Parts: sequence; C-alpha cells; structure tokens
Amino acid sequence: MSAVTAKNLWKEYGDDVVLENINLHVPAGEFVTIVGASGCGKSTFLRMLLGEETQTRGQLLLGDAPMPSEPGPDRGVVFQKYSVFPHLTALKNVMVADELASARLTGRLFGGARRRARERAMEMLQAVGLDHAADKYPSELSGGMQQRLAIAQALMKDPKVLLLDEPFGALDPGIRKDMHALILDLWQRRGLTVFMVTHDLQEGFTLGSRLLVFDKVRHDPQAPGAYGANITYDIPLQRQSAELYDEVRERVGAAEQELLKENAR
Amino acid sequence: MSISRFSVHTRLIALTLCLGVVTAVSTVSAQERDSFRIAWSIYVGWMPWGYGDAEGIVQKWADKYDIEIDVVQINDYIESINLYTAGSFDGVTVTNMDALTIPAAGGVDTTALIVGDFSDGNDGVVLKGTDDLADIEGKRVHLVELSVSHYLLARALETVGLSERDIRVVNTADADIVAAFNSRDVEAAVAWNPQLGELRRMPDANVVFDSSQIPGEIMDLLVVNTEVLEANPALGKALTGAWYEIMERMSGDDAIAVEARTIMGDAAGTDLEGYEAQLASTTMFYDPADAVGFVESGQPLETMENVRQFAFEHGLLGERAPSPDFVGIQFADGSMLGSEANVKFRFNADYMRMARDGEL
Amino acid sequence: MKRIINQTPNRPTGLALGLLPFVLVLLVYMVASAARLAENPNDPLLPSLSAMAEAFQRLATEPSRRTGELVLWVDTAASLTRLGLGVLISMGMGLVVGIFTGLIPYVRRAFSPFVTVLSMIPPLAVLPILFIAFGVGELAKVVLIIFGIAPFIMRDVQQRVEELPTEQLVKAQTLGASTWQIMLRVVLPQVFPRLLDATRLALGSAWLFLIASEAIAATEGLGYRIFLVRRYLDMETILPYVAWITLLAFLVDILLRLINRYCFPWYGGRRS
Repeated sequence: MSAVTAKNLWKEYGDDVVLENINLHVPAGEFVTIVGASGCGKSTFLRMLLGEETQTRGQLLLGDAPMPSEPGPDRGVVFQKYSVFPHLTALKNVMVADELASARLTGRLFGGARRRARERAMEMLQAVGLDHAADKYPSELSGGMQQRLAIAQALMKDPKVLLLDEPFGALDPGIRKDMHALILDLWQRRGLTVFMVTHDLQEGFTLGSRLLVFDKVRHDPQAPGAYGANITYDIPLQRQSAELYDEVRERVGAAEQELLKENAR
Repeated sequence: MSISRFSVHTRLIALTLCLGVVTAVSTVSAQERDSFRIAWSIYVGWMPWGYGDAEGIVQKWADKYDIEIDVVQINDYIESINLYTAGSFDGVTVTNMDALTIPAAGGVDTTALIVGDFSDGNDGVVLKGTDDLADIEGKRVHLVELSVSHYLLARALETVGLSERDIRVVNTADADIVAAFNSRDVEAAVAWNPQLGELRRMPDANVVFDSSQIPGEIMDLLVVNTEVLEANPALGKALTGAWYEIMERMSGDDAIAVEARTIMGDAAGTDLEGYEAQLASTTMFYDPADAVGFVESGQPLETMENVRQFAFEHGLLGERAPSPDFVGIQFADGSMLGSEANVKFRFNADYMRMARDGEL
Repeated sequence: MKRIINQTPNRPTGLALGLLPFVLVLLVYMVASAARLAENPNDPLLPSLSAMAEAFQRLATEPSRRTGELVLWVDTAASLTRLGLGVLISMGMGLVVGIFTGLIPYVRRAFSPFVTVLSMIPPLAVLPILFIAFGVGELAKVVLIIFGIAPFIMRDVQQRVEELPTEQLVKAQTLGASTWQIMLRVVLPQVFPRLLDATRLALGSAWLFLIASEAIAATEGLGYRIFLVRRYLDMETILPYVAWITLLAFLVDILLRLINRYCFPWYGGRRS
C-alpha cells in the first residue's frame, strides 16, 4: 500500500520555482529522511504533506486520495519548536487529542470519559518515558523532554503519516541519540510512515529506511528563482521496515526489551 | 471653542499639581514695583480687556503711570482664579461670588477694583416641556456645581418655596452642558451665555428664571491683590483709566464702537450680532458714575449677605470656617460683613470715583 | 573600578534608592508648604501634611454636612463601579473581537482596519455624540471608558493571537481540532494572561477617562469631587484624593499581576 505519491509535482510562487517536477512513491511503513541545502524546498515539500501548501501543478496523493488542503488528524507533526501547548501540562497536552475528538463543542471531557482519556494519555507518556513529568508545564521540561511530549501528542491520533520537521535540530548530541532510539522504536512498533526533514546529514544517512536529497539541478545565476529543486538522490538505507524488523525481533526479543528500558531512563 | 466664564474642559489633576509646584515659588509680594500681571478669561463682560490689550490702550495707561502691565488671557476661568490665588498674577477677572469663595476664602486679601457689569439675564434656569419654575421639583438639574449657576438656582428655588433638597444637582461641565441638554434624559439645566442662548433655542425649552430677576447679584469684577494695590496705587489708576477709555470707545453706535464690539465678538468666538445679544442681557457700567453709584449703594452688601450664606452652606468657605462670618467683607462706605479681624474681600470705589471725576 | 553598568546596588541600598525620590518630593513639598503657610496661614494651595491627613480622615469617617454621606467611600464606590464595568466590558469585547480578527482572515480583513481607525479617535472629542446617544448618566461614563480602552485591547489581543506560533495552530489541526475548538482550547487560554497584561497597560487610560467623565456630569465619584472642590482650590481635599486614586490604581495593578501569576503559572515561565 502506498502512503504518499507525488506525480509531476510543481510548486511555484509567482515566477519563483521552488519544486520542479517531483516524482515520488513512498510505500506505507517507510522512514524517509529528507536532506538538502537550505532553500532547496524540503520544508516546502513537508508543508505540502501537511496540507499547509498546495502544489501548483501535478498531483500529490495521500494513500489513494488527493492530499487534503489543510492539516488534519491523518498526518501527525512534530516541529523543531512550539510543537506543544505551553499552557497545558504534559498530561493535558496529550489528553487534548481525545478531548477534542469527543467533545466537539467544549473541547473538554468530564467524569468517566475524562478518566479514560487520562489513562490513555498516561500510557502514551509512559511509552515516551515522560510519565514522571505528567504534571509539568512544557517550560519546565528540557528540550528533549519537550520533543518526546510532542511525539507522544502527535501519536495520540494514530496518524497514517508522521511528519518531523528538524525535530532534533535544537537538541544536544547525547539527547539526540536517545531520541533517535525512541523514534525508531515507535516507527517499528507502530508501523508508521515517517517523513523527517533534517539538516544533519549523518542523521539523514543513518536514521531512516530511505534518504531523499533535494537539490537544484540547474542553476541560472541571473535568475535564481528560474529553476526549482528536484530529488537528486533517492537512496535506500540499511534500516528495514516494520515487517522485517518484526521478524528479527521475534528472535532477539529479550535484548530489545533491555533497550527499551534504557530509553525510558 | 465655546466662550465661557468657566472651565473650558476636563483639565486633569496633574495640571493642577504642576501649576501648584510652579506657582509655589512665585507668590506675589507687596513691595513697590513697576511690573504687574493681570489674568482674564473669555466672557462677555471681560472681552474689553482683550481688546484694550490688543489696541494698546492698557499699554498707553501703563506708560502714563510709568509701570508695565502684562494682560494675559487664560483659557480656563477657574484656572485663572487659581493662578491668581496662588500668587502668579496681581489681578484677575472674576465674579463676586468666586472672588469670595476662592481667593478671599483662601486667605488672599482681594479688592474689587472695577465693577464692570452685572448679569441681567445672562444666567438662566432652563426647563424642557414646561414654563413653570415650580415644575423643577424632583428633577435632576444639570449645572456647574458651586458656580454662579448654582447660586442662581438656589435663589430661583427660594422664589417658589423650594430648596435644594427638592431637586438633585448634577455637576456638568459648562462646555458640555449644551450637548448634555440634547440628551433625552436631561430635563433641567442652569447655564450662562452663550450656552444659555443655545439652550433657549432648543425646541420645547423654556427659560423659567434668569438673572434679570435678581439684578445686581451676579457681578463681573476686576479684582487685584489688596496689598499690591496699597503699595502700588499706580496699578489701580492705570487699570481703571484704561478700562473707562475702552468703555467709552465700545459704547454707542459710531463706527469705532461698532468696530470695537466686532473685534470683541470675534475674540469671543461669535460675531457682532452674537456679542451684542449677550451685551443686551448684561448691564454694563459704561459710565464710571453708574459704577460708583452701584458700589456705593446698599446693593453689594445685600447681595454679599446672600452669597456668603450660600457659600457657607455649600462648604465653599472651607471646612475650617465655623460660620459665614469667617471671612470679613468690607464695602465702599466702610460697612462690614463678618469677621473684622479677617477682612479678605473689599469693595473699593476710590479708583472708579477718580475716573468719574476725571482725576486719572 | 567596574564599569557603572556592571555595578548593582545590594538590597538595602536598592530600597533606599527607590525611596529617595519619594522622600525628596515630600521634603520639597513640606518646605514649600511651610514657606507659603508662614506668609498666609489660610493659603489653600499647599496645605500642610497634617491638614491633609485631617481632611482625609474627615472625608472618610465624618458624614458630609450637605448630604450626610461618608464622601470618600461614596465616591470610591461610584468610581470603582464605573471603572470596573467599563474595564470588564472592554476586556470582554477585546477578547472576542481580538480573537476573531486575529484568527480568522475574513474577519480580520473586514474589521481590523475599522478597529484601527476607531482606536485613533480621541474619545473626548466625540463626547457630544456620546451624550446624545447614551445620555449623561452612568451609561455614558461607562461607554466613554469603553470607547477609550476597548479598541486598544482589541488590537493588542489581535496582535497576541497573530503572534501565536503557526506551529501550534497546525498542531491543533493535526489533533483534529475545529476552528471553534482551536479558539477555545489553544487561543483563549493563551491569550487570557496577555489580556490581563493589556488591561494593566490600559488601566491608566481607563482612570483618565473615568475622571474625565466624572468631571463632565456627575453627582458623585472621585473625579467629580476633585473637579468640584477645584472650584475653591481646596487642595486639602484634592491632594489626598490624588494619593488615594494612585493607591487604588496601584492595588488594581497588583491584583491583575497576582491573578496572572496564580491562575497562569505557565505564563511567567514562558516569557522568561
């Protein structure tokens, strides 16, 4: 099953061509990392996947249907900053997803429904190792913890596609490693399709199952906007998709459990 | 801009305070000197000062007595009196009531040098939908509280056997009283000209009582600091001389008089016709003999008795005043009201008499 | 010797420095007052501190000779009621209009220029219109305050809403939030403490318009009293009233600060 398909996709702002004739097929369960020089259109591409921008030519499909023209619950997102709501505690940041779904008018749940949403949110916090910080506000959390929270929040809606916009760019290297382990684990356990934009080439090369490089092939020094970027490299990586991973995990399950505990710490 | 004897608009406390600090260091001293400052504000009976200043008449008389007189227009009537009381000016244009309640009650010994006119219909009580003053009972009456309007209202109520307890006074700035009267919920107001004229013109509005029914009780004066005057009689002579030259110029129907009244009307924000309408409800003492006659009559004493009772009842003499006698008032013939030990307001006919007798 | 920008006073010194201007002003006042009173014991302009204290006590505890009321409390209650009503209504309007214009492009296009122009009109200049439209009673006074500060609050709230990171709005949408839910759960709670900040800034103007409105037509109120007794230069009443108004304004400001600190604990942390 395909998760995202682009056919002859163009994006232009007036005379400036940003993306030029992109063709891409990403099957469900891939972990796609996207790298490229700044201004190469990788963020524009991510915004198109989010629904914040629409193509000017060609087609962009989510599954088999055209990409919706605004953000929605079928695509989760984690940004580098401002991904979580500063006025809600960690627990409420995660709970809010269920509250919004169940209480259309007030956006709040009460009584038993609230308790159930709370339990579900606690489970999710546990999965990202934040259960001990449930009652803290984001400003009281470290950068890494904030990003864990953002991931937990994004996963509450069980999105088909998870979009990560330089999610670990602002983190220290050690913490970044922990985050890599976490996101890989979640990807594999939940069978997500992940698109991650990064400016860290090494992260791009080692983290996912497929690497896309966005770049401009042609360049006109007189008119920098005349030509857009394309996918210049499309490299399959070592990291395997969830099915293969599951096979392997069957055999070395115990060791994996150890790793998880480490992450939780 | 409206012409008014009273506050032009909402002036803030800060201003009062600033003035306070500025003037705190500049009190008038009584020594003999040759430079003086007189404040005036726009009102029908005081427009001649502006004219006399602009036409050089004040300058001419100051030169004659070898002094300097600076005539300064202050846009806010109350502020001009406060500045005088604080000591920034040697004299100010003021009504008899305000002269008693502001400088005199504030301990500044003040002499009424020139009695220029009295209101003869310039102040009035206006009601909507009735021409009977007695119908005012129970109404909310809009007026500048503690002003001559308030006094006029008190005198009006007496004539129909009512008192202030039978109505409710709403303090309303003079600049806003016309706009307020347009509002449906305002049925009664007391005002002076030109606002009174505007109110009178509104449909359904009737002037049920005006100052022509208490003639001579609301006087427009030029007062000066008594100590300054005593130390510098030249100031009194120059001011009085200038005033009656202006009076002579502006009275009558010759071209000079019409031109003078036109200039005054312009300066007052109206025109010749509007200014003459206001003059019609004012008894001007063009002739110093009339002014002397008025001041030497029993009328000022009778009036000030009413005024000081009113002022005391309304707390205008200050909280420390134990009775209306607190401030002493001296009249031209030497008769007295109130405390002889604390005379702070004096009617003086000497200089007007000199003008009458051609001794200036 | 360290540069002066790197030198900070310790706590007691800082406190003393903070008090210094107050003490200086008080001293200057006392000297000037004593000098004037020596010349004229009835001088109304700069009454002595004890005279003002007496006057204040009299206004607060002795029924007025004319009306039998405790003047200070009647005035304070009337003024605070007007101020409170005007400010609360302005806050409500500011919140609703600000959120809608800040969040919804169609509403912004339709109303934002209008609100901007509205906020430029000096309210005192349209007083006659306010009188005719709203009478000269309590309503007009409250409306004057609203007219004076609501447009400012609306614009401020709108700006705060526009400043919310797009990421948050996108995130909320990926969590399935509708426009209404975004307003309710994302924008409103984040804008509320900013609304209180804007209100604190607007309070100065609110007091100004309150006092102006009371100067124009009133039967009681703090501004009414000041403008009334101004007629006989009763600084004994005016100066304590000014101090009292300053104190009230100061307390209201502290109250709003405390509300922000205790009701929105996340807010201060985020700003720092």
